[in-house]
Amino acid sequence: MTSKPTFRDEIANLLYASQGSPTNACIQCGTCSGTCPVANYMDQTPRRLIGMINANLKEDVLDCNTYWFCASCYHCTVRCPADIDIAGVMYAIKRYSIWNKTYREDLVGPRFSEAFMKTVIRSGRSYEPLLAPTYMFHFGPKEFFNEAVNASKMMLKGRIPVLPPRIKRLDNFKNMVKKIIPLGENS
Amino acid sequence: MNDTKSPPEIEEKVGVYVCHCGTNISKVVDVEDVAKWAESNPHVAVSRDYKFMCSSLGQELIEQDIKEKGLTKIVVASCSPHMHEGTFRAATEKGGLNPFMFEMANIREHDSWTTDDREAATQKAKALINGSIERVIHHQPLEQIPVSINPSTLIVGAGIAGITAALELANGGNHVYLVEKQPSIGGHMAQLDKTFPTLDCSACILTPKMVDVSQHPNITLLTWSEVEKMDGYMGNFQVTVRKKARYVVEDTCTGCGICIEKCPFKVIDTEFEVGMGERKVIYRPFPQAVPKYPVIDAANCVYFLKGKCKACQKFCPTEPNSIDFEQQDEILKLEVGNIILATGYQLFDVKRIPQYGYGKLENVFTSLEFERMVNAAGPTEGKILLRDKESEPESVLIVHCVGSRDENYHKYCSKVCCMYSLKFGHLVHERIPDATVYNCYIDMRTPGKGYEEFYDRLLQEGTNFIRGKVAEITDSPRTPEEEGKLIVQVEDTLIGRQRRIPVDMVILSPAIEAQPDSKEVSQLFKMGCDFEGFFIERHPKLDPVATMTEGVFIAGACQGPKDIPDTVAQGAAAASRVASLISRGTVMMEPVRASIDTENCSGCRICNNLCPYNAIEFVEEEGYSQVITALCQGCGTCVAACPSGVITGAHFTNEQLFSQIEGLLWDVQELEPVPAGKEE
Repeated sequence: MTSKPTFRDEIANLLYASQGSPTNACIQCGTCSGTCPVANYMDQTPRRLIGMINANLKEDVLDCNTYWFCASCYHCTVRCPADIDIAGVMYAIKRYSIWNKTYREDLVGPRFSEAFMKTVIRSGRSYEPLLAPTYMFHFGPKEFFNEAVNASKMMLKGRIPVLPPRIKRLDNFKNMVKKIIPLGENS
Repeated sequence: MNDTKSPPEIEEKVGVYVCHCGTNISKVVDVEDVAKWAESNPHVAVSRDYKFMCSSLGQELIEQDIKEKGLTKIVVASCSPHMHEGTFRAATEKGGLNPFMFEMANIREHDSWTTDDREAATQKAKALINGSIERVIHHQPLEQIPVSINPSTLIVGAGIAGITAALELANGGNHVYLVEKQPSIGGHMAQLDKTFPTLDCSACILTPKMVDVSQHPNITLLTWSEVEKMDGYMGNFQVTVRKKARYVVEDTCTGCGICIEKCPFKVIDTEFEVGMGERKVIYRPFPQAVPKYPVIDAANCVYFLKGKCKACQKFCPTEPNSIDFEQQDEILKLEVGNIILATGYQLFDVKRIPQYGYGKLENVFTSLEFERMVNAAGPTEGKILLRDKESEPESVLIVHCVGSRDENYHKYCSKVCCMYSLKFGHLVHERIPDATVYNCYIDMRTPGKGYEEFYDRLLQEGTNFIRGKVAEITDSPRTPEEEGKLIVQVEDTLIGRQRRIPVDMVILSPAIEAQPDSKEVSQLFKMGCDFEGFFIERHPKLDPVATMTEGVFIAGACQGPKDIPDTVAQGAAAASRVASLISRGTVMMEPVRASIDTENCSGCRICNNLCPYNAIEFVEEEGYSQVITALCQGCGTCVAACPSGVITGAHFTNEQLFSQIEGLLWDVQELEPVPAGKEE
């Protein structure tokens, strides 16, 4: 009886805990894409991405850069007339693509996300001097050098801490994260 | 079964009829089994199943069985009593029984439509029918109560819906009280310029009707008035109306307008001109206003504020003087038979959507502001001008669905915005031929006679249609072309790209909303309104102008967003419903009424205040309460509340209801009864 869930259902399931409607409530009005500050850099606008999810075009959805370019400003979510948490949808696809290892190698998004999560899980806080090199190396020495110069300037002005910050009861935090993240053992 | 119950005194012969309703019931309920099973009930003389009980053959079956088999009570198991109770009561009566010897079991809405489980549905059908059989045995013959209909009608709201209804009724020779809270009749239609799709001038088609109202001998026009109270019931309502002080004596005023001319003070007209123009403190909303008498805006009048001026009084040429600063509100008591509510709508407050910038960006207009602007009698004499009232826009963008089709504001489609936005496009093309016009829409909705053709006309005229809901409107430029313009950011969803469109003027098409006081109004008239504030009709398809309160009807946009043709149709429909009641003269009301056994009444008076219809009076000398049958609506509140249990609701007696409950629970009889006094 139970058939395999469609891609649309899978994404809807990932959104079950978030506020608002699943993607099939979309009326394709374009408010999200009209609002989006980075829409021009995406190869599919958020509206089209939702249309593609609803059409179960799984490969095309996972293949585009839209969700990695989302800046999480939540303008689309606030303004959506169909009450869809679009920024939440973007996160859902990010999680989906990381878990299924279907993300594009040339994008900075997945590497950054992974590095960020690792840093946070390790020390309980984000720490830029450790975070940046882990993914910046991947984009060649020139990029890395530029970033390093920037970082040094910021460190001199006290905008970046020299020593990594720590939180109390780090073990408890790590145990919590293991429970929350389904693939927590791997990351 | 049911052997524990003592049989009633007279031998009852019940006829049970189980309807297939095509396959609506029979596809889930095993109707044949149910009919056969019902036969085993000792009271049942005949039990049949039939394809369509409501057909004339089905009804004849009941009549025949009553005559031939001597049935005394009838049970039909079919749809909701809402649908066919009347049909089967009539058949019962035709067979020679009192119509109240009938009971209906709802095995469609309450059973077959709710499930696919055949076994459970059949079981439930049996329970419902058994309950009805046990109930009908205790039914008493009742006579319907005749109620005479007062031929006068109250119509609340004198927009196009109210005006149409009033004229229809008045032309048929019936008296109408037309109550309007504004100083003039006409409603929103008086503010509009052209009407889509034919582009005839709104005022030109409305004002003849307004004049007809003012001259009609059968219409009592009460403008600047509001209904405060409604009592009574269908056919005999008592309505209290407050006629606010105009400070102008209508008997002597000739409407010459000298007072308006001479009044030295002006204020911004936020009502009729929606803030686009000014008016005097003593004013007439617009030149063709009906009635012609002006009204003094006491909140702004210098005489009322400082005790000086009286210019209007000094210059009034009538004898005696028509300006009366001492005038007080008048309370009128009206007796009417029916009421039509045509209270109209208001527009959504576009400031609630901050990203559209209304109020901050000066060249963002609302649709009603634009209507006033393009109106030849309006503040700019029909010229399309920016807020500076000098320069003409070179480009105009119209935003659809402002507050409509939006979970954050109103979920519904406001129905008319697409069409009037198209009309705006046409008017811009007509008045400023070189202007560029954009329409930003989500879906173009043009269902109506000549509407799609009008859309086509706009496509031909060269309007730019962009399919996309506008995301935001800003005045901060990114490129030199955007300098000094309003920039509309929107995704053109048909090409899948974000666009920034620099324009001079933006018009927002706001949602149509229920009046802000619609909830209070619905309570005042004892009928319902939905969550959005629109009044609820009796049936969405088959009874769109009646309400759940007998004698109260609704018409126009107070029931939901609609355009002028639909509004006029509803106004006329409501009038015809009222006219048919008036020409009948008396209508028969359900005899479902409460009665008090005065012998046993303790005189506690608990029921007196609980009655929502004030239908119970206390007889001081005798020390008991009694029901005024004419006022009682049979709601049953007093029956439930009476601590001595001496109030009975006809057709809902304790005996009837308890028998029905026992009948419903026929298959749970094996359970051990809880001994009295041992309940938890």
